[in-house]
Amino acid sequence: MNKAVFNKSVITLVMLFLSIVMIVPFLWMISTSFKTPSEVFQYPIQWIPVHFNWSHHVKVWTGDNSFVLYYLNSLKVAVLSTIGAVTLSSLAAYGFARIQFRGRDTMFMVYLSMMMVPPQVLFVPKFIMFDWAGIYNTHWALILPGFFTIFGVFMMRQFFLSVPYEISEAAFIDGAGHFRIFSRIILPMAKPSIATLAIIDFSWHWNDYENALVFLIDHDLFTVPLGLQNFILENNVDYNGMMAAATAGIIPMIIVFLIGQKYIIEGVASSAVKG
Amino acid sequence: MKTSWMKRQQHLGYLFIGPNMIGVILFFIIPAIYSFYLMFTDYKFMSPDTNFVGLDNIQRMLGDEVFYIAIKNTLMFLLSVPVSIGLAFIVAVVLNRSVYLKKLLRALYFMPYITSGVAVAFVWMLLFQPNNGPINGILRAIGIAHPPGWLSTMESSMYAIDIIWVWFMLGYNMIIYLAALQEVSGELLEAAKIDGARTWQTVRSILWPLVSPTTFLLLITGLIMSIKQFGIIQAITQGGPGNSTTVLSLFIYQNAFRYYEMGYASAVSWALFVIIMIFTVVQWLGQKRWVHY
Repeated sequence: MNKAVFNKSVITLVMLFLSIVMIVPFLWMISTSFKTPSEVFQYPIQWIPVHFNWSHHVKVWTGDNSFVLYYLNSLKVAVLSTIGAVTLSSLAAYGFARIQFRGRDTMFMVYLSMMMVPPQVLFVPKFIMFDWAGIYNTHWALILPGFFTIFGVFMMRQFFLSVPYEISEAAFIDGAGHFRIFSRIILPMAKPSIATLAIIDFSWHWNDYENALVFLIDHDLFTVPLGLQNFILENNVDYNGMMAAATAGIIPMIIVFLIGQKYIIEGVASSAVKG
Repeated sequence: MKTSWMKRQQHLGYLFIGPNMIGVILFFIIPAIYSFYLMFTDYKFMSPDTNFVGLDNIQRMLGDEVFYIAIKNTLMFLLSVPVSIGLAFIVAVVLNRSVYLKKLLRALYFMPYITSGVAVAFVWMLLFQPNNGPINGILRAIGIAHPPGWLSTMESSMYAIDIIWVWFMLGYNMIIYLAALQEVSGELLEAAKIDGARTWQTVRSILWPLVSPTTFLLLITGLIMSIKQFGIIQAITQGGPGNSTTVLSLFIYQNAFRYYEMGYASAVSWALFVIIMIFTVVQWLGQKRWVHY
């Protein structure tokens, strides 16, 4: 074995060891969810339980307010929000990137300035407005605002700007209008960007705790983060149950990540570097 | 470039942007204006009448001891940002160079960032248990007789939150650095190697200066992102013990939705806005000096 290969192998091993430190909380979480109460804080840590105890997972998934309900609520909120956000962001981004009209740049500056407003400024007035409009404590309080993401407009606009204008020009000469150019030419080219936005947006809504905390009170409306919190509050000494619930809360995002890893990582990288 | 067909169809621009703009007006602009108004009232949600109180809320804020504690805690929370960035740079440099399994490693380091903050909050809550938690178990095993109480004492709780946040943000910062390092030309590194530069010298004199725009960007966006964050802290400590982990954003949330002091909460939220605006202006000014396109 030559020196370069040896060095590379050693460095890989070191980085692999450190990466395990990064994911060790998850490993401990899964391991603990299968243990008995007396084994939770045993030291040295028993990584693989002697007897796999499924009862905590059963408890999380069945009974009152089970995670089945939280999953369905989260799926509803995240899927509808994502569909709306991708559609409306793409439309607006096309307008900002590829149509010249009066007031466009001013409008874009307004969008820019809204990024500075912290969510805490908006929570109280939204709470009052939603209460007044009758959507407080309904899923619409999460879904409707979810349609409108300034980040989504930025991301899609960035992509639309990179498409050569000659393509639109040629289509226009052939008699196509903006709607046709948008739906038949630009949108199909943007598939990877759409996938990236959809995955990032979905994960954002799936993990969204703050909005759910402020706008939902009924247990049967709870999304996964609230359901998780609720479970912990009710069972705050059942450490195995807590870890089974945390596992249930994390697994969907890990699956989404494994499927859409490329899109998530590229989307995150491009949003900061280019944006 | 303006062309004739663009000009002719310019009214269509409103149709494309309109639907999104309606939402931005409804869910961003109107609430922002409304909140600005609420700042000058004693709106409480529970009580029926609301009075205009002028600058009372701002005066109350400036005399509120907890407000200053929250600012101090926020600054302590923000300490995690440069630490996470520094670690991410080291990891990114190593991952960008000579390792096998690059994709797997990248995914493993990024994993915390995509998971639910609430779930990881509860996992860390148990890991940090002072008496019998695994972290203190390990610390005792390596000879530390009196490990910190982590989330359970006022002295250590904010540091424990910092550790969680460094861990949470590391993967994100690393991904951005990896993207930046990919832009560094291989020829430059080759030339340095021929000139006899050691690895440490290359990292210090070439890579670190070349990615400095990224470092600056990560620092500012990281500070802004962290200053708004309260979910993990709300889930794990609710600001306690005492007020030792009450950061500014959590202080606003608690005033608004635990005590229903919504006028007061609005005033504090605008203080938060001012802080974020300062960071944004610094970024905007700094961009000209730091970010090279």
